[in-house]
Amino acid sequence: MVFVLLGVSIIVFTLSRGFPSAINPLGQYITPKTRPEDIEQIKKIHGFDQPLPIQYFYWLRDVFRGDWGYSFWAQGLPTNEVFFSRFPYTVELAIASVILTVVIGLPLGIISAIRNNKIPDHISRIIALTGYSTPAYWFGFILQLVFFYYFFLWGLPHLPSSLALSQAFEGTVPQVTGIPVLDGLLAGNLGYTMDALAHLILPAVSLAFISLGYLARIIRASMLEVLRQDYITMARSKGLKERVVIYRHALKNALIPAVTLTGLFFAGLLGGAMITEYVFAWPGVGRASLLAINQQDTNFIMLYTLVTAAIIVMANLVVDVAYVFLDPRIKY
Amino acid sequence: MTSKRVRTSELQATIADLKFTLYMLSKNPLVVIGSAISIFFVVLALVANLIVDPAVANQFDFQRSYAWNNPVINWGPLAKTVGGTTHPLGTDGYGRDLLQMMILSLPLDLRMAFVIVTASATFGIVIGAIAAYAGGILDEAVLRITDIFFAFPGLVLALVFAALFGKTIDTLTIAVLLVWWPPYVRLIRGQVLAEKEKAYVEALRAMGAGHLRILFRHILVNSIYPLLVQATLDIGGVILTFSALMFLGFSPTPALPELGNLASEGITHVFDAPWLILFPGLTIILISLAFNLVGDGLRDVLDPRLRR
Amino acid sequence: MTKNRTILAVHDLRVNFHTYRGEVKALNGVNLKLYEREVLSLVGESGCGKSVTALTTLGLLPENAYVIGGEINFKGENLLKKSKDEIRDLRVNEIATVFQDPMTFLNPVLTMKDQLEEVFMLDENALKKAAAIQRSQGKPLTYSEFLSEKTKQESERKVKSDLKVSSGDVKKMAKHLCIEVLRVVKLPDPERILKEYPFELSGGMRQRCMIAMALARRPSIFVADEITTALDVTVQAQILHLLRELRDTIDASTIMITHDLAVAAEIADRIAVMYAGEVAEVSSTREIFRAPLHPYTELLMRAVPNVKKPTESLETIPGTVPDMIDPPSGCRFHPRCPFAMGICVKVSPRLEEVIKDHQVACYLYS
Repeated sequence: MVFVLLGVSIIVFTLSRGFPSAINPLGQYITPKTRPEDIEQIKKIHGFDQPLPIQYFYWLRDVFRGDWGYSFWAQGLPTNEVFFSRFPYTVELAIASVILTVVIGLPLGIISAIRNNKIPDHISRIIALTGYSTPAYWFGFILQLVFFYYFFLWGLPHLPSSLALSQAFEGTVPQVTGIPVLDGLLAGNLGYTMDALAHLILPAVSLAFISLGYLARIIRASMLEVLRQDYITMARSKGLKERVVIYRHALKNALIPAVTLTGLFFAGLLGGAMITEYVFAWPGVGRASLLAINQQDTNFIMLYTLVTAAIIVMANLVVDVAYVFLDPRIKY
Repeated sequence: MTSKRVRTSELQATIADLKFTLYMLSKNPLVVIGSAISIFFVVLALVANLIVDPAVANQFDFQRSYAWNNPVINWGPLAKTVGGTTHPLGTDGYGRDLLQMMILSLPLDLRMAFVIVTASATFGIVIGAIAAYAGGILDEAVLRITDIFFAFPGLVLALVFAALFGKTIDTLTIAVLLVWWPPYVRLIRGQVLAEKEKAYVEALRAMGAGHLRILFRHILVNSIYPLLVQATLDIGGVILTFSALMFLGFSPTPALPELGNLASEGITHVFDAPWLILFPGLTIILISLAFNLVGDGLRDVLDPRLRR
Repeated sequence: MTKNRTILAVHDLRVNFHTYRGEVKALNGVNLKLYEREVLSLVGESGCGKSVTALTTLGLLPENAYVIGGEINFKGENLLKKSKDEIRDLRVNEIATVFQDPMTFLNPVLTMKDQLEEVFMLDENALKKAAAIQRSQGKPLTYSEFLSEKTKQESERKVKSDLKVSSGDVKKMAKHLCIEVLRVVKLPDPERILKEYPFELSGGMRQRCMIAMALARRPSIFVADEITTALDVTVQAQILHLLRELRDTIDASTIMITHDLAVAAEIADRIAVMYAGEVAEVSSTREIFRAPLHPYTELLMRAVPNVKKPTESLETIPGTVPDMIDPPSGCRFHPRCPFAMGICVKVSPRLEEVIKDHQVACYLYS
């Protein structure tokens, strides 16, 4: 795992600092408040006077000390702060999307498998694959168009199209977790929570629509595989009701690959669904990373990449461990 | 080595196999529809430059930008309408007819998709197959490197690469390539590792066949199916990724006729010119869906356990 | 031997499978009778239709199978005309099956307790009655008592309608019966076994568990589909021994499907020899071995090498098993039969009783 992260960091570092088109990284460690006389000193501390490979180790040391420099595009705030203040919003979106994906994708896949090659299968296949084929940016905008604009035109109650929270509610509740819906619930403030939820719906649906297709296909394939097995015939021969056969015998076996997939998917979402966040002006790390890339804010890019890579790697480990619990045959 | 008779019977077996595959595919109505649509778009892409004069892409007329001129549908109060030539799907930000621009964008998008899929698949398969077959340190190394690339979230790598190296078609192609090759390594590894242990490989070794020959002529041929499925599914995925890059502003030229690029023009005018986002998007969905239907159907059919 | 009643009668059963390469005519008019309390063995080569016959009776045929004609009469009713729920009911109470490979036929992610208990839980009323009896008699209920309770059920059906038995008691009864039935199949330490997963047990133990699952239903018909095929010879012997012992305990008829004549000889009262989707010969085990009538049966007997008689070469039946998509006309055995006559090619012979209690489908005798 460490190796992978190191590898990632080397690649990003090289890309960020190793090319002439990259901007002067020094700007990353200076804020408007820095005094000109300190610049030489700062240069030395972070090793800018050294050749690139040596710079890497300086940077590595800085990272271990928690010093990620500053993000000059975010009013000169430390990169850490910029990242972690936005992270909870991404988490909120990720959790909501995963819940929707599973709630809709799971039954879709199961039905597809049970009624294999009949009408319900075809319908769910189209839904699943359409979701899978839809560009994230497009669907987000369409949702906004319909639920925000046209609903408004037609006089229907409409959903907000951007941000995580309406202006009016900002800061009215203590930020315990940073996740708006949770904070609202914890504070017992129903209005706040409802507003947060209203803002959450469209982006979550947008993300979920695309991924539920994938989940449904995986579950379908998995279920079909399981339903072919001898022990399913055995279960039926015992005289068990078909529903019991499917939910008690088949599903438990079929779910294993689906669980791992969902876990990895969730981890990926924690990395910020860049495009969806961009479309909905969602204040998460995904959108921030886009801005950072455009402005060549290498510090942020590196922090972002490393954190999300770490999440993905950890998720892989967690999923492997989960496998051991789900399938009694596996022992490490 | 292999006698002519053996080779022809191998050929016959492959043809029979192919016939069976096509038969099974034709039984699924969705796959048939998907294939039809895919073929339609490929053909359209091939003749696109004949139907629509590419020069049209450079004829800007800002008087007619974001306009709509279609007798059938009405978009509401905010949409601007314009007289003269009909624009069945409206105009874009440069006053060009949207339908024409969409047709012109097909060769680019489809060509990119095929090139990227072929290149990333080839690259991934070759290094993955060699690594898995050789085993040992080489395998470990390739696995680790692939893991590293897998760990990059979403499009970050592609975007950073593109931001650094400029926005030309070539750099964008490489950028997307960087993100798409790892899955092939994993796929082919799984296949080769399983095939390696099988009896026929041992038999071939005993006959004196060289490693490369065994790997590429035999093992790979047997493992081709899941790769084919993945490649077909990836065509849709690559189109999505590529157009997403365009959408985010990484287009070489702002006026490039490309589906994602056209859609990005529409962001600022979502409410008063919704067709700009709507139709290019629908087209992408359609193309992607068509290839995905074929790939999905192929996956069902090529499952070796279902073949009787 | 007094003739018992017929419990299952298969009459002219025809089943086809629809595949890519054509219609597989798996069963071509199968005629069988199963009597009460007997062990009938269905013997034949792989692909001759023995399992298909059993699966059709159970209603467990795969999707691409079609019953084209015939009847299956169980206790007087035609099973082919019953609804899915009625058939399912039969699987719960009347016909229990044990399959060939206990590794693949047991669910790998459920414990033995889960898989065995659920069989008992299918009939909650029975469990309630059992719990009430156990309570009234003051000592734990044994499996044989549970078994005899079932036959009593028929006549004393509505006697105790208001049983004060809690759901907790029902579950405890189920668990108790699991342990009891595992003891019946001679498994040591039943409590431990219940906690294990299938892959943690040996092949023989798994097979005994499968038999236990069948016994749990107190069936009238016990179908054993090649249950010894996947086992070592020694374990095979143990299982057959167990089955012979159980014969006296359980009051059921058994259909023993096997391709191994030796197994049939060990345990069957009557043997039905099947070939290519048809029944060739049916008689008592003794008769079949003493004086086989059908050429196929005779050749089959000769193909089994005798340990006592030294030979230089093994005898085989010339030719190969027929292609069931395009089977031979008339009698399906005629291409391989040393006695084939003109009529054998044209018309399929019917199964007829040529000696008392001995039926053959062959023109040599009719």
